[in-house]
Amino acid sequence: MPEGLIAIADALPYLLQGSVVTVIVVLGAMGLGFVLGVPLAVGQVYGRPALRRGIGVYVWFFRGIPLLVLLFLFYFGLCTALDINLSAFTVAIIVLGLISSAYQSQIFRGAILSLPEGQMKAARALGMSDCKAISFIVLPQALRLAVPGWSNEYSIILKDSAVTYALGVAEIMARAHFVATRTYQQLPLYFTAGVIFLILTWMGTRGLRALEEKVRIPGYSPHGA
Amino acid sequence: MPEQILRIENVSKRYGKKEVLRGASLTVDKGDLKILIGPSGAGKSTLLQCINFLVRPDEGRIWLEEKEVHYAHKRDLYAYRQKVGMIFQDFNLFDHLTALENVRIGMVKVKGMAKAQAGERAVAELERVGLKEHMQKYPAQLSGGQKQRVSIARALAMDPRVMLLDEPTSALDPELIGEVLAVIRDLGENGMTMIMATHQIAFAGSLASEIIFMEDGRISERGTPEKILFQAENARTREFCAKIAELYGEKR
Amino acid sequence: MEEWLYLQNEAAPALLKGFWVSLALIFPSAIFGLVIGVIVGVLRVYGNRPVAAAANGFVVLFRGIPLVVQLFIWYFGLPYIKIYLTPFVAAVLGFSLCSGAYHSEYVRGALLSIRRGQMLAAQSLGFSKVRMIFSIILPQAIRRALPGCGNELIYLIKYSSLAYMITCVELTGEGKILASNSFKYTEIFLIIGACYLAMTSVASVLLSRVEDRLSLPGFEHHRI
Repeated sequence: MPEGLIAIADALPYLLQGSVVTVIVVLGAMGLGFVLGVPLAVGQVYGRPALRRGIGVYVWFFRGIPLLVLLFLFYFGLCTALDINLSAFTVAIIVLGLISSAYQSQIFRGAILSLPEGQMKAARALGMSDCKAISFIVLPQALRLAVPGWSNEYSIILKDSAVTYALGVAEIMARAHFVATRTYQQLPLYFTAGVIFLILTWMGTRGLRALEEKVRIPGYSPHGA
Repeated sequence: MPEQILRIENVSKRYGKKEVLRGASLTVDKGDLKILIGPSGAGKSTLLQCINFLVRPDEGRIWLEEKEVHYAHKRDLYAYRQKVGMIFQDFNLFDHLTALENVRIGMVKVKGMAKAQAGERAVAELERVGLKEHMQKYPAQLSGGQKQRVSIARALAMDPRVMLLDEPTSALDPELIGEVLAVIRDLGENGMTMIMATHQIAFAGSLASEIIFMEDGRISERGTPEKILFQAENARTREFCAKIAELYGEKR
Repeated sequence: MEEWLYLQNEAAPALLKGFWVSLALIFPSAIFGLVIGVIVGVLRVYGNRPVAAAANGFVVLFRGIPLVVQLFIWYFGLPYIKIYLTPFVAAVLGFSLCSGAYHSEYVRGALLSIRRGQMLAAQSLGFSKVRMIFSIILPQAIRRALPGCGNELIYLIKYSSLAYMITCVELTGEGKILASNSFKYTEIFLIIGACYLAMTSVASVLLSRVEDRLSLPGFEHHRI
């Protein structure tokens, strides 16, 4: 057992550097997912039927194919086929981001749909264009409602980031495996990796709960009038 | 010669097979208070929402101050809606904004006024409806009557030519109805042109310039309050008025 | 065409073999996962303090640690304490425990949503706790938990691909091998992607059917 602890202690700095990589990948993916997810949600709720169908297909595609398959497809397949030279790190963020955008779009869509119809009506009655009404009335409320769902999405992306090890991204799992094969202390090291992920999850969820509190509207409940 | 503010001709609306509005026509002069009464589903709400095109009528034409409104042109539509204020039965205040911000947002984002200037006007409107002390509160912190008064202030801040009120007191607790009716009466006495759908028959009787009875999507009878409420030609009108006079009290 | 010949003679058989392995992974894991989920969910809601705490701890651990890490622990880590599992067994173990933890969340939510009045009525009729759970609560809870658990099963279909990472060669694994040899990554993985899309789509449709079949008036699930 003591060799196990020694191995952990030795590897810890190296693993923690990996957690920086992990966090950057996760934040990048969440950001990309958000930037794409909001317009997709708005399009799905307010767009023409053709647009809604198109977005539906996009969502079905990115929610139906495993992450690992998409990573291989993009990194080994499309990059060579289209002759683009991207690092595994970049591809990881892009693929995780695209998948997340499909899930996030559904979170935001649900939040927008849960708002009372009257909000949009009142905005139009004042003479606002649909674009203004969505930007100033619908989205500020919908985004607040979506924070719990977003918090969930964070923990999912964090765990999915471990899969990017398959492309050689130097995140926590890759490093744990690297050290484990050299020191033969697999169990302690993978366990430590697991604990690091747990801590990162906990920190993130805490942070997002603080965000939820900060943007809360006094007395507001989604079913209020 | 009274100035004609609004003219509506032959407005119809169908939802699938159901005709909710059939050929409704109406003219409103400056300072008029026209009141729509009738049973649920008669089309009162649909008519009001067709007037500011929240609902697209299938047929019909609308003129505001002698100029026809072409809702196909988005710019014209938005400009038109600024001149027509609407009060909803469910208030529809913007939940994420304070009372002050609710009143101010139309001026800032639609009319393009400077925030400071719009803010001053917003405070003035809130004072007019008696809610200046509550201006930093959010809708969730206000009572129903207060919410409705804020929504009236919000509509007034846009300087509308005519106000449409869709059963403004139907969602309120009985003791809160009075404060909203007082504000509406005040507006009427100061010359605001209004079309209101309501069950408040006593109020209608005392203030209306014309009462319009609607049934099954059609305007079936119209006339002065005295005529409609007490000497209606139509049997159905008489029946309806008698019933709500019972419920909502009658005042001669 | 050379492409089609390749597809027929080399790719198709290998991918088909991988497909069967995937199915062999998915079905047992789904069943074990559901069973574990129901048991853990029930323990979390109705168990006494220590039992519920243990069950909760199980869920925190298996939902918080990435599935990849869990798989590595079962396959690469257990040998450390002299337990040697085949890749297939380690994969099924990992999938069952992980999805069991997620299923228990939905089961727990469903159980908590059953109104207290139902339980009071059952107790006043003389039902024992266990009887009450099985005859009154679970039939209702299963309908409530169905959408969430169904969703989790679809996730299972997708993360069965991770078995490749502990050397259990299923559909994705076969694809990687084929592609490394032929360099036809794009084609092969597009085909594999299509296979998974087909699997998840079929599963979604079947789940909707089951939900509709089991639905009772008043228990409608508000589907977004």
